[in-house]
Order: sequence, then structure tokens, then C-alpha cells
Amino acid sequence: MTDEFTPTWEDVAHRYGRKIYNFAYRLTGNPDDAADLVQEVLLRVRKGLPSYRPGSFEGWLWRITRNAFLDGIRKKKRRPESALPEGDHHALGSSPSPDEVLASIRLSDNVQAALLKLPYEFREAVVLCDVVGLSYDEIAEAADVPVGTVRSRIHRGRKLLRGMLTWPI
Amino acid sequence: MADLTFDPDEHGELFSAYLDGQLTPEEVAVVTELLDGDLEAIEEFLSLRNIRTRLRLLPEFEVPAALLPDGHLGDRLSAYLDGELVTLEHRRVTNHIVDCADCRVELQELDRARIAVRSLPGVETTVTAEIPATVVPHRRRRIIAGGIGAAAAAALLVGLAVGGGDDPVFILNDLATRHIARASAEPGFAVLPASIEVAAP
Repeated sequence: MTDEFTPTWEDVAHRYGRKIYNFAYRLTGNPDDAADLVQEVLLRVRKGLPSYRPGSFEGWLWRITRNAFLDGIRKKKRRPESALPEGDHHALGSSPSPDEVLASIRLSDNVQAALLKLPYEFREAVVLCDVVGLSYDEIAEAADVPVGTVRSRIHRGRKLLRGMLTWPI
Repeated sequence: MADLTFDPDEHGELFSAYLDGQLTPEEVAVVTELLDGDLEAIEEFLSLRNIRTRLRLLPEFEVPAALLPDGHLGDRLSAYLDGELVTLEHRRVTNHIVDCADCRVELQELDRARIAVRSLPGVETTVTAEIPATVVPHRRRRIIAGGIGAAAAAALLVGLAVGGGDDPVFILNDLATRHIARASAEPGFAVLPASIEVAAP
């Protein structure tokens, strides 16, 4: 969105709500977490719009979305009864062996399961690129990392997925 | 360009970025050369393309409707009727009205209310400077007849009334009461029912 006028939060909800929901769903594999994220992001957008200055709206929105998602993960880490997404266990060093991963992934609907096995940074980059459809520049702005890092993360994420998924289809 | 030898660690990332259309022309030339007859490179490229395709074919979920606002235009409709929206906003509202039957109906109701208020006859005495908070029957007052739909609704709510005639105050007071009731039941609602006809003084 490159309009010179700041959108209303209703505009944001309708234009991006679905993308935000799918972003969260693919990162967590959980519809409840996805719904929570949409609510939290829209709340932050509503609070933040008055101080938003026209510019890269997508970058601003996805930075909010990413921060809200990570805040949600941090809250869960403070609540031990809530399980982290599997990929975050992986990132923390409790990674299953490749055989365990392969055994756990069924041929049907296995891409989502494989996504959840990726370390967070790779999963986020892949989802923002392939599910949300952002450019490398937009992902770099949202994640506050250089474009080269985004390029590397997307490739490494896809390579890891390739190792977990059967090929060809 | 010197002959290139494919190295998955060095060139695989180029293939991914090539698939995403994120390479410079120079890098595209490198990829093109690597894919020119090198079977290992071609196999790597095809496998990465396969993964990317599978990710992009993941089904998209609908966001639960309860998470989103109802999507209608609210008070922007009155501003639209009065030509108070800036161009871009006007275009957005127009686009929404084209697609949304609910908002088209509400727009028509607002327009009828707006016309009804604007066609109120002129009155003889001067406008009172003080607007009472409540309607007091049997007391003559003046109405500010012009203005926009929202202003008209507000005027009814504070009990302004047309002077003259036997007792037009009660008619408008009743309208105001009905409007308040409806507005209370439907937050954000600010439309006079289409059937309302303001009695002539």
C-alpha cells in the first residue's frame, strides 16, 4: 500500500487480515494462535496508526506483525504449561533426529509439518516469501536484517524442507 | 565469462533467489550459464523449484469473520454524500458501494433523510442562540434547517424543532426518541428511517 493517505484500521483489517492469519497459521500450525495474532496485530495497528507517517506501509505492518508474533512466543516461554511450536524446540537445541522427523511427516499434508520443524528465522523468511508473498526487501525491512541475510535464510529454509520432504511429489 | 563449475553450496542460493526474481542481471547470467547442460545444477534447480512450488500451493485459510470489523462505511457515507471526502477516500467508498448492497441501501436512506432535512421550509423568526438540552413541549423554537445528515440527526437528538403550527414539537420529539432508541440498539447507526416524513409546520 503506497497511498499518500493513512489507511483506516478497518482498511488494514480487510486488506491484510487474511495474510496475517495465514502467516501466523503457517508459523504455528495452530488456528487459535493465528486468531490471537490477528487480534493483537489489529489492536497494535489501531493504536499505532495515529503516529504512522506515510511511507512503506507494508514494512511497518509486517514489522508490527512479526513483533507481535515474537512477543506471543516470549509470553508462552514464560508459561511452561504452554507448548512452544515444534520448530522453536528445534531452535533451542532439542532437535529430533532426521529419522524422527521423516517418520513424523506423512506424505499427505506434510509441508506444514515440515515447516514447523524449521528454526524460526528460516521458517519466518520462507513463510513471508512463499505464503505471504513479500519481496526480499520487504522481508528485510520487517525482520530488520540485511537483504543478503533474507536471501540466505530463504535458501537454507528451502534446503532443509527439501531434506524432509519426498521429492519429486 | 570463464567456465563455471556448479557448486551447490556456492550457487544454490542463487537458484533460490533466481526463482524469486530477486537477482541482478549479472547474477541471472551466472545462473543461466550454470544451467546450460550441467545435469547436477539442473537437478538442484528443479528440486528447489519443486519445494518452492509446494510451499506456494499451500491452501490459504480464511480469516474468521469475527476477527474483522463488519467492513461497512459507517459515518463515511454521510461525508460521501456531502462531498467531504478527499479524492482517494471518495474512490474507495465508491468502490465499496458498488460491491456492497448493505451500504447502497444505507446510502439511499441517508440520502432520503438528507433531502428531507434540506427541504424543510424556511421559518420566520431568528435562530435561537441557545440550544436546549431537552425538548420542552408547547414552546416555540426554531430549527437550523440546512446541514448534513449527521447534523440533522444531531439536531433531532438535542430537540430542536420547527416553530409554527399547532404542535410540531411533539412530532419531532417523537422522531428524536425513535432515533435515540435505534441508535442505542445499533451503535454507529445514524440514519433516519426512510419512512419518516417531517410534518410541515
